[in-house]
Amino acid sequence: MAEDSFLHLARPLGPVSVGTAPTTAPLNVVIQPQAVFSILDHSLRRNADQERVIGTLLGTRSEDGSEVEVRSAFAVGHSEAEDQVEVDMEYHKQMLALHLKANPREVLVGWYATASELNTFSALIQNFYSGQGDGTWPHPAVHLTVSTEAGKDLETRAYISAPVGVTAERAADSAAFIPVPYELRYGEADKSGLESIANAKDAEDRSATITSDIESLERAVEEVLSMVDRVARYVESVIDEETPASTAMGQFLLNALALAPKVEPADIERDFNNHIQDVLVVSYLANTVRTQMELSTRLATAQLTLGGGEGPATGEGNRQRGGKGGNQGGRQRQERTEEARA
Amino acid sequence: MAETPAPLAAVQVEALVVMKIIKHCSQTFPSTATGALVGMDVDGTLEITNTFPFPVVEVPAESHFDNAAPNPAAAAPRAKANAAYSAEMIRMLREVNTDANNVGWYTSANMGNFVNMNVIENQFYYQSQLNERTVALVHDISRSAQGSLSLRAFRLSQKFMTAFKENKFTSEDLQKSNLRHPDIFEELPVKLHNSHLITSFIHQLQCPTSSASTELPSSLAALESSPFSKTSTLTPNLDNLSLSIDPFLEKNCDLLLDSIEAHNTEVNNYQYYQRVLGREQQKINAWKQKRAQENATRATLNQPLLPEDEWQRLFKLPAEPSRLDSMLNTRQVDQYSRQVDSFVSSSTGKMFAIKGNLLPNETSN
Repeated sequence: MAEDSFLHLARPLGPVSVGTAPTTAPLNVVIQPQAVFSILDHSLRRNADQERVIGTLLGTRSEDGSEVEVRSAFAVGHSEAEDQVEVDMEYHKQMLALHLKANPREVLVGWYATASELNTFSALIQNFYSGQGDGTWPHPAVHLTVSTEAGKDLETRAYISAPVGVTAERAADSAAFIPVPYELRYGEADKSGLESIANAKDAEDRSATITSDIESLERAVEEVLSMVDRVARYVESVIDEETPASTAMGQFLLNALALAPKVEPADIERDFNNHIQDVLVVSYLANTVRTQMELSTRLATAQLTLGGGEGPATGEGNRQRGGKGGNQGGRQRQERTEEARA
Repeated sequence: MAETPAPLAAVQVEALVVMKIIKHCSQTFPSTATGALVGMDVDGTLEITNTFPFPVVEVPAESHFDNAAPNPAAAAPRAKANAAYSAEMIRMLREVNTDANNVGWYTSANMGNFVNMNVIENQFYYQSQLNERTVALVHDISRSAQGSLSLRAFRLSQKFMTAFKENKFTSEDLQKSNLRHPDIFEELPVKLHNSHLITSFIHQLQCPTSSASTELPSSLAALESSPFSKTSTLTPNLDNLSLSIDPFLEKNCDLLLDSIEAHNTEVNNYQYYQRVLGREQQKINAWKQKRAQENATRATLNQPLLPEDEWQRLFKLPAEPSRLDSMLNTRQVDQYSRQVDSFVSSSTGKMFAIKGNLLPNETSN
């Protein structure tokens, strides 16, 4: 995460066409982790001689255009030489079409590069992405740089651009990149995924297995216990006058403690008993149903050897019927249990 | 596939794939989402390194509540149009150095309700048509929302594949093949894997500032707005601690009841078949006796005998209904009850913890 400080007041005006009222409201960029992961993956898969790779960012734009949410990204091949850059525009277009087919709600919002550097090529590409026709025009294109230099922290920066240059030729390969603030936001649904991924962060082989419910519960409880420990240590050291006290901290802790519900023990007892019964009954029922079904399928398909003296043809039918009768009995018993519980 | 005899033993999923699947599934929730997986098969471990969703025809909103409505997304993996789509997509991905082998598909599930014909047919299509070494990843949104990620990998067993190919699901066939509901799927262990960059990224995500001691906040407002009080912790997910029992149980009971109903229908179908079969058999016997008598009289009158096997043309025995549906249903119930078990194990623990903490008698509070 890059820690640059900049003033974020208004976005620059793009080339104004007649009839559209340009907006100068500041722009916020929200990045979802999926997009970052895609970018990082692409960066790993770059050709050996490539310094940086680029790709297209897709996402949604709020109605007034003041917030851009980057939701996904795909890689676009390109090659840079001393004096020229080639971007596979055909590829970009095809991939965009394919992507939009599956995600009709997402639109082109900008592009990314995996180096922090901004150069003439960046300006060229930026002008392509923000241009009319295939680009994001009249909205500004977002340029995201994620530095993936080995041994350094990842630095993410978001920019939009303003046209500069006096002549048309000069304007085509120059742009004023203006940093815009961004935040990384993940939804409720992503949380469990990120958690599992984060489990692997300290592992030697960078992999983790998916934990079961009870294991993750254990981990959560451990975490809470360690947090309580930390707070208790802090409070103790304040009481022993080793650490300076802070009213704000005290107030915060008091507020947190006040969250503990005040309930009558009898109420707790009652609620507890009600719920634990619910839970256990459902568990019991589920297992009973499972056993019944299993029994039913087994009876229907098993080689029953009862009454082995019968002829093969009639024996078959009888066996089947016997099996079914057993099922039916099982079913009725099942229903009775169910009713008794209801 | 004779030259690669090592069976698939495990599935290794890249973090990128996990996130993409979650995104796609939660976006389309509650309708089903499906997509393709690409990756590589390395010595029995299937490494899934990228994924892309299948395009879906937009379903009108009201049909979301009707499970019986044909679901185009659920059938998407084996649809013709999507075969072309995924071939095209894979060709594109190859150009940017992605592992460009189709290794399976994923689907979203809600409370473990993934054992159905769609999943079977999709996976059958993948294993028989495309590549034997493919998996189906099932991501359960509702269970993931409970706290821990639910992502499982399945394959159809060889036994089931053979039976499904020949559509051998009468009770006689099942007796012979000894195929039972636990044999439908083979579950493979799923492992998550991060690239170095993602590991580094997650480390940064977790500690936004340096670990040096910070100065104490000046006011409560300052404390609350500081980055520390924001929930930036990724692991462990404290949602696990929330105790919401009823919605989960309710949903599970609903699903169980649905299954019981389905089971009932199957049983009724089968009984109907039994009755019809019995009736036909009686008719045939009657006819045979009649024919035998007639032949006996003809023999005494020295007339030519009538053929005795004509009944095969005259009567038609009803076809036995396939037991596949009830087998799937049993597997589904199995799945539900396991899921309830695992839920119960964690929720009872939580409940006793709460009781112990809130009741003042034994533990002073």
